[in-house]
Amino acid sequence: MTTTSTGRIGKSLPGPRPEDVPEPSSRWERFGRPAGFVVALAFAVVPLLWMVSTSLKTNREITQDGTLVPHSFTLANYHNLFSGREFGSYLTNSIVVTAASVLVALVLGTHAAYAVARFRLWAGAERWIGFALLMTRIVPPIVVVVPVFLLAQRFGVLNTKLGLIVVYSAFNVAVVVWMMESFFREIPVELEEAAMVDGDTRFAAFRRIVLPLAAPGLVATAIFAIIVTYNEFLFALVLTSTPSAETMPVGAATLIGRINIDWGAMSAAGVVGALPILLFSALVQKHLVRGLTMGAVK
Amino acid sequence: MAVTRTVPAPGRTRRRLLGESGLDTVLPYLLLAPTVFLVLAVLVYPMVDGLRTSTGFYRFGRRLREVGWDNYTDALHDPAFLESIRTTLEFVAIAVAIETVLGLALALLCVREVRFVRAIRGTLILPMIVTPVVVGIIFRLMYASDVGLVATIARTLGMSPPQILGQPHAAFGGLVLLDVWEWTPLMFLILLAGLQTLPVEPFEAAKVDGAGAWRTFVDHTLPMLRPTILVAVSLRSIDALTTFDQVYVLTRGGPGTATQLISIYGYQTFFQFQQFGYAAAMLIMVALVVIALAGAALALMRRRPR
Repeated sequence: MTTTSTGRIGKSLPGPRPEDVPEPSSRWERFGRPAGFVVALAFAVVPLLWMVSTSLKTNREITQDGTLVPHSFTLANYHNLFSGREFGSYLTNSIVVTAASVLVALVLGTHAAYAVARFRLWAGAERWIGFALLMTRIVPPIVVVVPVFLLAQRFGVLNTKLGLIVVYSAFNVAVVVWMMESFFREIPVELEEAAMVDGDTRFAAFRRIVLPLAAPGLVATAIFAIIVTYNEFLFALVLTSTPSAETMPVGAATLIGRINIDWGAMSAAGVVGALPILLFSALVQKHLVRGLTMGAVK
Repeated sequence: MAVTRTVPAPGRTRRRLLGESGLDTVLPYLLLAPTVFLVLAVLVYPMVDGLRTSTGFYRFGRRLREVGWDNYTDALHDPAFLESIRTTLEFVAIAVAIETVLGLALALLCVREVRFVRAIRGTLILPMIVTPVVVGIIFRLMYASDVGLVATIARTLGMSPPQILGQPHAAFGGLVLLDVWEWTPLMFLILLAGLQTLPVEPFEAAKVDGAGAWRTFVDHTLPMLRPTILVAVSLRSIDALTTFDQVYVLTRGGPGTATQLISIYGYQTFFQFQQFGYAAAMLIMVALVVIALAGAALALMRRRPR
């Protein structure tokens, strides 16, 4: 069996393909598949909806009435989060820390990846350094969290956004190098050479020719890094201790620790905690799947 | 293929760019330096420091004396450590098995370009984007014995609400279900990408031969998809071995030690009991296992033909 196929399952190519032709009178297509969709969608969405629903009820309705959808529609739980508790600053911290660390990682990482993809290095490092960097990411975070804590203490960056930014930049840069290296390798060297012959410096050729061609890779890498960084919990938990530096996941988790039965506050905190990253995902949805699957190698 | 990457033959083309000017001999090292420094300082140094920590005896966070490898041998005789390892392995095995089967089913369900399938795929992957801490919150709201969705439904049906997080077996099952909810989408995405790159001819041939859907699946889809399944299972297992955030919010390891995964036990040994050396030794052993698994998985991926 050769693999010189003209069509591939699931991609739209011109011409009739077997999977496009509906099997006539197929009960599976008319009932089975739609039913499968409904069950799968319900499984994915109902837990989320239950959290949203709980957050919109009064505490009285939550604890006494046991309703499925809110009858006493209220935003009080959200109001409390932002007035009495520090969710505004958690949100700001999360955005600042995520944006800064992903930016630093992308700038440093693309340059490093370019060096690895285009040069011969000492000891053949261009062949293994991306892999070595990636392996540092595979070590369970819990193993390094305490030494990192002590290090942050020594440099006085405990409980600062700066400390988190440095740590997350290191995490992200390893992923950026690993992903971007392969993108750069797929871009023919001849394109840069032509630009350099025409008088571009290497740097200009990199900026004008290589980076635009690698843009899809950059986008996917950035999406993956942003999601992972925003969602990170363990290091933020250990390295920060007050709302001046705590991020959204830490804020939500510590709130849960303090209140035990205030279900309204808990559910509102969950919604507010997840909303930024879900909104971001909706914004970039065209590139999302690519970012998520490429990032499957963490 | 989604999770692989190309490793081109070492560069005939690349060589031509090299060594033309003096700057080019130092440039790559200048470009690499900040990245390498950052990773060495923030990730590698702490690992080495962790090794040093693991050979000391600490009390209340202070290093009292050197104990060599004793922490490691102690851990191997510590029932709590061994139990948390067993709990972790059970958790990973059961959750990943379910996620693989469900993920494959979802991928087969969604591979055909029928109407709305894009929107459906987009919705199905929501759980893996939700912040893990929030996933913990979501499932506390599902399982709460008084106000949870499970309890509410049970009451509506006239049954007594189950105590999910209060009973060891139910809590463990509840944690598995949480993981299945959150990470089946990842399995789904990887396997969907795998299905989409399968060649069409075998399926056409099978159809001509009049093979049924099940036979086609067993004879063609499954064997051709095997490498992808293997990769997906390894990736997911590596990640699941160090699950922390969700347990921290959902149960903190309880009731008793029913959901005390190794990461939770290690965290508590570190921060609650401040036995730094002992915790470091335990976690280093776990890290070695994870690294070995990851190395095997990555080697597997690199060997695969495109």
